[in-house]
Amino acid sequence: MTTPAWLVEPEARMGPCACCGRRTKGDFVEKTIAGAGRVLRATMFSSDLAGEDGYLQRADARVKVGSALALLLVAAFTRHVSVLVGLYTSTVLAASASRVPARFLVRRVWLFVPLFTAVVALPAALSVITPGHIVVPLGTWFGTPLGLTAQGLTAAALIVMRAATSISVVVLLTITTPWPRLLSALRSLRVPRAFVLVLGLAYRYLFHLLTSITDMYEARKARAPRDHDLVRGRAFVAATAGATFGKAHALSEEVYLAMVARGYRGQATAIDRRPLGAIDLLVFSAVVAVTLLAIGVDHVVVH
Amino acid sequence: MHIPDGYLSPSTCAVAAGAMAPVWLSAGRRVRKVVTNRYAPLTALAAAYCFCVMMFNVPVPDGTTAHAVGAVLVAVLLGPWAAVVAVSVALAIQALFFGDGGVLAYGANALNMAFVMPFVGYGVYLAIARRAPLTSRRRAVAAGIGGYVGLNAAALAAAFEFGIQPLLFHTADGTPLYAPFHLSQTIPAMALAHLTVAGGVEFALTMGVVTYLQRANVPLLRINHSATAIPATTEIPASRRRWRSAVLVFAVGALLTPLGLLAHGSAFGEDAPGALDLHRSHLQAVPDGLARYAGFWHHALFHGYGFSHDAHPAVGYIVSALVGMAVISGVAFVVVSLISRARSAAR
Repeated sequence: MTTPAWLVEPEARMGPCACCGRRTKGDFVEKTIAGAGRVLRATMFSSDLAGEDGYLQRADARVKVGSALALLLVAAFTRHVSVLVGLYTSTVLAASASRVPARFLVRRVWLFVPLFTAVVALPAALSVITPGHIVVPLGTWFGTPLGLTAQGLTAAALIVMRAATSISVVVLLTITTPWPRLLSALRSLRVPRAFVLVLGLAYRYLFHLLTSITDMYEARKARAPRDHDLVRGRAFVAATAGATFGKAHALSEEVYLAMVARGYRGQATAIDRRPLGAIDLLVFSAVVAVTLLAIGVDHVVVH
Repeated sequence: MHIPDGYLSPSTCAVAAGAMAPVWLSAGRRVRKVVTNRYAPLTALAAAYCFCVMMFNVPVPDGTTAHAVGAVLVAVLLGPWAAVVAVSVALAIQALFFGDGGVLAYGANALNMAFVMPFVGYGVYLAIARRAPLTSRRRAVAAGIGGYVGLNAAALAAAFEFGIQPLLFHTADGTPLYAPFHLSQTIPAMALAHLTVAGGVEFALTMGVVTYLQRANVPLLRINHSATAIPATTEIPASRRRWRSAVLVFAVGALLTPLGLLAHGSAFGEDAPGALDLHRSHLQAVPDGLARYAGFWHHALFHGYGFSHDAHPAVGYIVSALVGMAVISGVAFVVVSLISRARSAAR
């Protein structure tokens, strides 16, 4: 027995002959299921990459967290697009050296850039937002000349490159570091114990709740394949969210009892302590070199 | 509303994180005092729940979907301090794992969504719900309005953080170093998006969840409302309820009329022919038709929403608003009674 075609087709075609004009907007049920699926897929993919045998994967999480913070700060303070381009390129190189597909890293960062450029960066380049020397005239607006200014274009390039570099650094950190290591690194960097404990537990049970939400949505999709009624849709979302809260609360009690049964008395300790090795020294010196180079070049170009 | 890295200067991020430090300390202490050792699993599950709420796509009228933040919802269910911890942890997971919101900008994001939003929203919720019974409609609507106001307060805070960047951080030739938009652009842009779609979604989800729990799981509402009574049911007839909400909406609109006094100039396209800037529109003279028909009606009772010769402009504005409302209500009343009479005659 096969599933009928109308049931698996995502959206009805709107054209007169039902052959064209398919709506690309998914409805809220599909979007939520797809969103939860994306989160699970991304997590599995990143845990696979964190298990690879690359330079960055072998480095200690503490060194990587410190390095990522240093690079984020350098990117934030840099005033030159060329320096940001250099920083960005070095993250892509570091990825390819660590068996992280550079294509994945580049795509993850640049997928959002066209939208982002249209909404934020290009308007920022207009003379109405950033006044200055107009290099690309676009006519007049109520008598005042309108166009892209040199200052605006620089600002747009700065904001796009800075965001791209920062995302690249954070993605590289999280896809090369297993979650428990990242947590214990946060702990050794003096992030409060309670916060790290809650962060770890929340991450663990997040997937449990997501799975349960996906189940509820799939059940609805199976029973009401094409229900586009707005009011019923909203009532369903509210009921799912309310029921999920009930499940989360009940689960928290069970988790607490399970923790107590294993000896939890209000304090949690991490047992992952590794000495630093040669690879850590390598990563550390590479980051220090890149950081100093970026600061130096930025300083020289400014003056 | 998740601010990525690169939009805010590191100093703004540092100030925001500094402002959040005492909030986090206080929130941690208060929540631990209430739930003692259960602290970790309860707040962790609340944080995971918060993350999930941000994943719910809520349908909006044009056929697309939008998602809510849910900070006020968690504040109503578990209290504002627990919401601070839960939303902060959810934001940390989003920033670290899913690249949603920056790592350096974490403090700013937490300030907007984990502090301003739950506290403002919860304050509004308490002010409106007052001593209303736990399962009353008023409490659910109060939660919805709290969500709406809280989200808009958070958006305003984010708009302020964006808007001060070009004023404080630019190079000698005026190139902005971080977000380039000024306050005059960020505030309307954020307000437009959040007063309409996003605010509506937050309202619908917050109110919807409270309504659902009132119907299906009252003990969960009791977690944060242990002292609130559950009433004997006193049902108000549906027709009266409808009238009540309509009257409430109009009353709020009426109370907001003095806002018009704060605006300068006249609305776009409503200038008198004499006040037109001809040069700007590349015109030599006022067009014939415009000049002829602009003064067609001379007998307005309150010309320009005021008394004649502009005496007492503020009083005139308010009186013309009151008279206008009275006339419109009168006309509406007559039309409605005619329609209902015609309907009952048809039956």
